[in-house]
Amino acid sequence: MAVCAAIVGKDNSPKYFCCINPDEELSYQYKVLSSLDIIEERLNPANKNASESKELFLGHLYSLETCKLYGYVTNTKIKLIIVVNAMNLTLKDNDIRSMFQKIHSEYADMVSNPFYIPGEPITSKLFDSTIKGIITGTV
Amino acid sequence: MRSSVSYILSTNTSEPNMSHPDYDQISHDHAALLILIKHIGSQLKPKIFTKFYDRIIKLNDVKITDSSGQVRTIFVRYIKEHPVENNDWGDFQTHRRLIGLISIGKYDSQVELNEVCRVHESLKVKYNSTLYDSRCILFGPLKEIDSPVDRSSGSEESDTKQECNIEKFVSPSNFKTRALYYDEVAPCADLENQIVEFINALFWVLESKRLERSREKLERVSLLFAPFEKKDFIGLDMESRQNKKRCTGRMTKHLGDLCLQAGLIAESLQYYTNAVEILKSVNDWLWLGGAYEGLSAASALVLYPNLQRNESFHRIGSLPEGSPKKAALETISVTTVSKKSISNLLAPDEISKRYREAIIHYSKYQNAGIVETEASFKAARIAVEQNHALQAASFLQNVVYINLTLSEQEKIQRFETLAHIYMQIGFHRKAAFCLRLAATRYVSPQNPNPNWSKCYLLMLQSLSGHKLLLDPIEMLEADQGWPTLQIQILQDLIIAAKRAGYSALATRHMTFLLQTMGPYLNTEQKELAIQLQSLSVQCEGSPVPLVLESGIVVPPANLTDIPLCTSFVLKDLKPHLRPRTIDKEKKDTGPFLFTPIHFGSLDRNKPKTDSKMDFLWVENEVSEITVKLVNPLPFEFKVSNMRLLTSGVVFESVPETVILAPDMAATVSLSGWARESGELEITGYSTHALGVKSNCRLKYMKNQFPAYYKVNVIPSLPILEVATSLPQSASFSNFHDDSIVTSASLSLYHGESTQCTITLKNTSQIPIEMLEVSINTILEASLQNEIFQVDQEEVSLILPLLPEQSASFTVKLYGAANFLALNSAVSPSIPFELNSGGFNSLTTSLPGTSSFSRVNSSIRSSHSGQSSLVGGLTSFVQSATSSSSIEAQLKIRYSGGPGFGSQHCRISTVFFVVDLIPSIHVTNWDVLPAEKNDQFYLVLDVENLTTQEMELQYAECKRMIIEGQESCRVPVPVERCPLSKLSDFYEEPSQSKKLAEINRICSEHISNLVKLNWILNATDSCGIASVKGITLNSRMLDIVRMSPLEWEVKINGDIFGTEEDLVCEAGDCMELQMSVANSLETSLKDLTLAIQFYQDYDNGTLNYRMDTRLAISGSTKKLLSLLEPKNMANHRCNVVFFSPGIYKVDIQCYTPDNNATTSLVSAGHVWRFTPPISIQVK
Repeated sequence: MAVCAAIVGKDNSPKYFCCINPDEELSYQYKVLSSLDIIEERLNPANKNASESKELFLGHLYSLETCKLYGYVTNTKIKLIIVVNAMNLTLKDNDIRSMFQKIHSEYADMVSNPFYIPGEPITSKLFDSTIKGIITGTV
Repeated sequence: MRSSVSYILSTNTSEPNMSHPDYDQISHDHAALLILIKHIGSQLKPKIFTKFYDRIIKLNDVKITDSSGQVRTIFVRYIKEHPVENNDWGDFQTHRRLIGLISIGKYDSQVELNEVCRVHESLKVKYNSTLYDSRCILFGPLKEIDSPVDRSSGSEESDTKQECNIEKFVSPSNFKTRALYYDEVAPCADLENQIVEFINALFWVLESKRLERSREKLERVSLLFAPFEKKDFIGLDMESRQNKKRCTGRMTKHLGDLCLQAGLIAESLQYYTNAVEILKSVNDWLWLGGAYEGLSAASALVLYPNLQRNESFHRIGSLPEGSPKKAALETISVTTVSKKSISNLLAPDEISKRYREAIIHYSKYQNAGIVETEASFKAARIAVEQNHALQAASFLQNVVYINLTLSEQEKIQRFETLAHIYMQIGFHRKAAFCLRLAATRYVSPQNPNPNWSKCYLLMLQSLSGHKLLLDPIEMLEADQGWPTLQIQILQDLIIAAKRAGYSALATRHMTFLLQTMGPYLNTEQKELAIQLQSLSVQCEGSPVPLVLESGIVVPPANLTDIPLCTSFVLKDLKPHLRPRTIDKEKKDTGPFLFTPIHFGSLDRNKPKTDSKMDFLWVENEVSEITVKLVNPLPFEFKVSNMRLLTSGVVFESVPETVILAPDMAATVSLSGWARESGELEITGYSTHALGVKSNCRLKYMKNQFPAYYKVNVIPSLPILEVATSLPQSASFSNFHDDSIVTSASLSLYHGESTQCTITLKNTSQIPIEMLEVSINTILEASLQNEIFQVDQEEVSLILPLLPEQSASFTVKLYGAANFLALNSAVSPSIPFELNSGGFNSLTTSLPGTSSFSRVNSSIRSSHSGQSSLVGGLTSFVQSATSSSSIEAQLKIRYSGGPGFGSQHCRISTVFFVVDLIPSIHVTNWDVLPAEKNDQFYLVLDVENLTTQEMELQYAECKRMIIEGQESCRVPVPVERCPLSKLSDFYEEPSQSKKLAEINRICSEHISNLVKLNWILNATDSCGIASVKGITLNSRMLDIVRMSPLEWEVKINGDIFGTEEDLVCEAGDCMELQMSVANSLETSLKDLTLAIQFYQDYDNGTLNYRMDTRLAISGSTKKLLSLLEPKNMANHRCNVVFFSPGIYKVDIQCYTPDNNATTSLVSAGHVWRFTPPISIQVK
């Protein structure tokens, strides 16, 4: 399914990053970082059509030779990004959307944890394994 | 947008295509005449060339009136390089053709002139196919005499020009170009005119070509094709209807291009629109794309006339659409009016759509890659102009996919251009990503000549996109970005800097990396510290900003957290060196001592920083700061040259070096001298660690320290060394005064005195001008003064104590103690009958007829609560029988020099431990009337508490030896207390002045007179014991003090003396005559004089029943209603004894019970004539 998922905070600093293949993490980080520009632009209130919609799912952000990036922004401007292998044609928009929704609810649970300091990077192992499960489609 | 059919239509040919993309193109260039400005010859300096180039390129639009009188705006695009192959696409897009050539050269000699001319001609030949006209700007050798008239007129023909300008030099005969001769330093005022004239010439050629083309019959036109298409049409039926249409369509599009270049936008739009229709029908995708692009370009020219190349403004993300800039542009636009009127004009949205279509069409041809790339850039620029960032981004994204065989240099250029546009649309991250790619291209293995320096510069530019700021302080404050990436990027940057040979920068960046990314580095990456060490070997890091050639300033990076400072504590001076303020009298601050109103209440809520130290440092004296350092690195390293960073007064810091073991804390003390007095701010320290010099400011450290610590430095003070003549004490005290410099201990027997010499030495270079000595104990002041005595006179004589001089003074010590037994505490208000416990050692033989004297035990002990004199001792010296220890501090306050001027002094304390050993002890005491009326005996039970033989001198010439631990009874004759001392109490009777007062006075009287000198024969110690604090009961008091009544008793006419024995026979009549005189100053009232006979059986029984034993004639009682002072009352009676025996007569005078007039002469007070008269009857 997806190869990488990231949660980026309001100030565009990474909160959580998970990659199925740890060796590629750095390159995926570059890709996700670049996609933030597009998300920012989409959220730009000047682009009225973007801000009007209540839709959290931003859809396809951009694609590279090897992968496609999808974005999702919560109401608190937490950005969720999923990287999907470009060769994977089975994954439809709706699958991605539901994946995002699952991650979002996981994230909400995470933030509800009284031991988690909002704004800090997420280090919970449980959270990590759950997200990995979501993006690999095993959950 | 790149369709999957992208390669279907494209034939895979190896034919050379346009291989030199021009990334700087904008859509307006479609309308421009392309002119090459070429630098020829080696003589011309690049600077001069640039100067003239810059002048020429300002002429980028020229207004030309055409034959029909219409004003046309002709755009010109100047370039410096133009590959010939690009001309090949001139049919497809006419603006790609080079139609003008301006060469600029310089010569000094004929040979050079010939060479320059030859180069120009060869250039003409090179671009021969497309060139319309050319000019050659030539700078001749400097002439002595200027002839501006000649020069400014320009040269119509090269020959004529040469004649008047430089006769010597003649251009070669084959030089057919119009040459413009200038002096490179002269203003060359007509240069612009010449260029405009040149452009005019070009225009007319173009216009004629356009007209020629437009007059051609559309049916008969030849097929135009792009360079790679030539092969495709081989063997095709050129005469087919399809092909005819294709020819027409292409020609229409071509005409559109020409019209656009010739300044006829409306016409060009018409042509383009027609072309689109025709080409669509024949599926000629490439040319359809070209037509769409032309349409868009022409529309953009109308809509955005001010679109500029290399726009330098950066779009602000939050800027709303229709920003002021855009609005202003549109309002000033002249074309606003004409916009509506031009038919076929595309709407802004349409432009992007058309471009998109064009790009899709281009993408179908592999060989049109360059065109597609350029179109993408042009479209992106228009999208930027339209403020459609996302659109621009998608156009740019497309660029990356276009597969072109490009040289590395062109690839770099492509990424740089991408980065530039991304930057314009505010996609900083993307821009940074592209810059990084460009940077890596510079040093990629494919690149034949890697350029690390350029790579480094691009890397540096990409930092901001990754939220990396060059200043570590700002960086830490911002605390944003993606640490993992940032670490990677910094590492790449360091490698680039290192390979480029910028070792200082490499060190700087590595320092920055360690400083800012410390928290994110894992242990493996901490090895970076080792790399830093090896980097800094090449170039030591120091905290100065580095300036690059490009003007970028790399601010200093300081390793504030390597080593990590966990505590930073300013040390007070050693207690005895601490300056204190000399107490001054309090200033009158007015009636308002406290106000709840805080002025400047704004900063009330601010947390108070403890940055201001509440102690002082002294000028020219070593001051210390303790710093606790932790090594966060997994290996040992050395921190050398640690110094304090200060501001304010001049401070000289001592460099320190420390070696830190891994993950261990070490404490370093940094010291230095303040060389001035005033306020000193300590802002941090500097280190030299891992080969990097750092200024570690407190405010930038990870641990939250205040920005600075402030401490006041006072002018220098002298230093005193103190020594005593006594041995030092073994243990220091419970006293928490740390200013103790030395101690003295001794033991004293109670009552013993000794002396201690204190020697002072001034070890500083400042004379001591103030010296104060005081003793501090927890004892009461009176007792303290008794034990310790300092002669202040002697102390004051020491001053001034000059440097390196010594002086001394003495302290007298006395073993003060309460020598009286404390074992029973009884208040005098309790009638002492109750006090008659089994205390019977000193049985009195006092006879008494009254109920008062019926007690056997009249010895009484002192009690604690009564005497304030004893109070001090009783509270501290628990008992005279046990040894005790007194701790005292001798405080020496001294000052001098400038510090004295600022009201500061120092305190040195000598700590005294005095062990008091009991010597003698008075266990009991009593008073007995002496033989003389003006004396009495104080009978003391003296116990020798020592283990040695003691000689006690208790009165003059009266000595006694007491063995150790034994006691003996000594009678001490004492003068009675004169009434004059007590007169107050008789004269001013008041209840407040109680018996206690009288007791006190009497007690004082006794203790002043009684001195028990003792000598310990074995050790030769001697001392004086006093009976200070002795308490007396009222019976004793009567004896101690002189009686207020003076008695005179006569028996048988003779005055009775106490020592006499009276003998008489039974039956004899004895005459008793007595007189009482009032010796007080006041009169006594209601006195009763009574005579009583009794027998004392000497077994404690007194028999008052004398009726059968004797008879008295005359009254035994006499009432004296008033006894005036100095008056005398007389009484007389006779007595006859019936039977022999020993009789005693008690004569007393008492006041009635109900008369409570005075305290002393109180109710029921009895004065007796003592001792009672004893009569032996035979």
